[in-house]
Amino acid sequence: MKHLTSQWRQTALAAVIAVALPLNAAADSTVGDDTYEALKSQVEMLQQQLQQIQETLKQYEQQTVTNEEVQELKQELAEVASQQSEWKNTDSIVHLAGYGDATYSDKEGSPGAFSGARFNPIFHYQYKDLLMLGAEMAIEVEDDGGTSTELEYTTIHLFATDYLAVGGGKFLSPTGQFRQNIHPSWINKLPTAPSGFGHDQAAPISEVGLQGMGGFLVAGLNINYGAYVGNGPILEIDAVDGEIEAVEAEGRTSNDDDKLVYGGRLGLAPWPNSEVGVSFATGEVAGEDEKNNATRDYDVYGADAAYKWRNLGLRGEFIKQKVGSAGSSAAPNSASWQAWYAQAAYRFMPTNFEGVVRYSDYDANLKNQDQEQWALGINYLFAPNAMAKLAYNFNDGKNNSNADDNAFQVQFAYGF
Amino acid sequence: MRHAISNIFSGLVLPGLVAMAAVAWSGVAFSEGLSTGGVMSEGDVNRGATTWANNCTRCHEMRSPTEFRDDIWKPVVAHMRLRGGLTGEQQRDVLAFLQASNSPRAAQVSFEDSTPGTGLSGKDIYSQTCVACHGANGKGAIPGVPDFTRPTGPLSKPDEELLHNIINGYQGPGSQMAMPAKGGNPELNAADVRAVLEYLHESFGQ
Repeated sequence: MKHLTSQWRQTALAAVIAVALPLNAAADSTVGDDTYEALKSQVEMLQQQLQQIQETLKQYEQQTVTNEEVQELKQELAEVASQQSEWKNTDSIVHLAGYGDATYSDKEGSPGAFSGARFNPIFHYQYKDLLMLGAEMAIEVEDDGGTSTELEYTTIHLFATDYLAVGGGKFLSPTGQFRQNIHPSWINKLPTAPSGFGHDQAAPISEVGLQGMGGFLVAGLNINYGAYVGNGPILEIDAVDGEIEAVEAEGRTSNDDDKLVYGGRLGLAPWPNSEVGVSFATGEVAGEDEKNNATRDYDVYGADAAYKWRNLGLRGEFIKQKVGSAGSSAAPNSASWQAWYAQAAYRFMPTNFEGVVRYSDYDANLKNQDQEQWALGINYLFAPNAMAKLAYNFNDGKNNSNADDNAFQVQFAYGF
Repeated sequence: MRHAISNIFSGLVLPGLVAMAAVAWSGVAFSEGLSTGGVMSEGDVNRGATTWANNCTRCHEMRSPTEFRDDIWKPVVAHMRLRGGLTGEQQRDVLAFLQASNSPRAAQVSFEDSTPGTGLSGKDIYSQTCVACHGANGKGAIPGVPDFTRPTGPLSKPDEELLHNIINGYQGPGSQMAMPAKGGNPELNAADVRAVLEYLHESFGQ
């Protein structure tokens, strides 16, 4: 407004001068030609300036907003701010995460093939800071062109306190680290799981039951824990040969042996980006068709460690599942499954390349499943959550068995 | 022995978990940060930076704060609390850090902003805000963070450029993650940043 008044004053002054100067010149009949010309040019200059001022004023008037327009703008801003606030401050949040990968594999004795196409969406539904439902599906193309769909986990967690979250449903087994935290393909540095850490091998996969987990800070030391009670696994029994083929340690909603399994893990982080943990589980299990007629002891022991130092990442894990004997079973003898691995990954900064080496060893109950493996790999990280992996597995198992065949793999994995 | 252990778990673990859940539902505060009705502490950006830098890479590559919006980071960090065994306070700290650090880089921060500042020394600011990623020795604590002690390292650049990078954030060549504006600490003002730069030169400069 002040600016506008100033403009008007300038305009009026210029107009007065423009009119007054010629009149003054005409009135003074004694002026010479030179003076007249000078005054004339001054008048012309002032007229030009006046014209410019008038144009500027016209533009200014066009740009000037009214109070009504200002109020409308304010209202619009308030609405936008309200909308911004709405999506930021809702009680419930829905979020989709997950990962996917595509794999090519060429194994000795088998034709090379694009062997994997997988999509694992993870759904998160959070209510305030109180509840979170997390569910992961595993959708995978099968050999025959069909598609398998499995529920990896679905758990509702209640954030009870700063140090405890209680959850129920199907959850990844907290015994060990690989199955719980490292197996997603965008995290795992190699296209395959270590020997013994796959499905129906030494490491329990998941459980259906109740879980409590959380962390504490004690004198600057991070301590985390997980404890659970669940239905427990069942045994795959070959009644003809009288052998236990595998522990199906994947969460199920039946508990035919009428015995629950209890377990957990305790982890410590002694240094930044390090962790050591011990795991256990205990209970009773039975064969798939034997139910509670032939229950036997079931125990799991595990230990794991991880350390990241600058560009070097080290990790290792040991896990053992064992079952006792059961005289009334078709496979009466005790059995055990044991596996361990050690892995080093080094990022060649400032490039995006990373080298990986991993040794793993799996001792199964059936010796034709035993495997010792050296895996070498080179990765290219397009982003922290997207990487191309090229790896070669030197496998050593029973002669002429699948476990003995070396394999070459290429995988592209993306976590989102 | 095995049966004894089993009995202990049967007798204690399951009832214990059920009791804890019941207490939580009833809203009885047995810790300061109880989610159901208790007053939770605000997230602390500096502590969050340290927790973020000290925990995430033990499982996976470091994800940049700019990868997600504020609202998306919330369930992501809650999920990571469960996966990483963090406390509720650490969850809120990390969330505060990530939400403070993901502003678009185009939104340039002014040298002469009106932030009151911390009034701390360069050394103190470094040890609170910068040390998580750059390390106490200035050599970088996580992959992709440059070594301040190299003669041809970042400190060989002109101060004006360094101040600009600290204030507005910076992503170096070969690094997959950008340093957030002001290291992710919105409380720093231009004087604080100058104090930090002075400390960097004194401590790590050649």
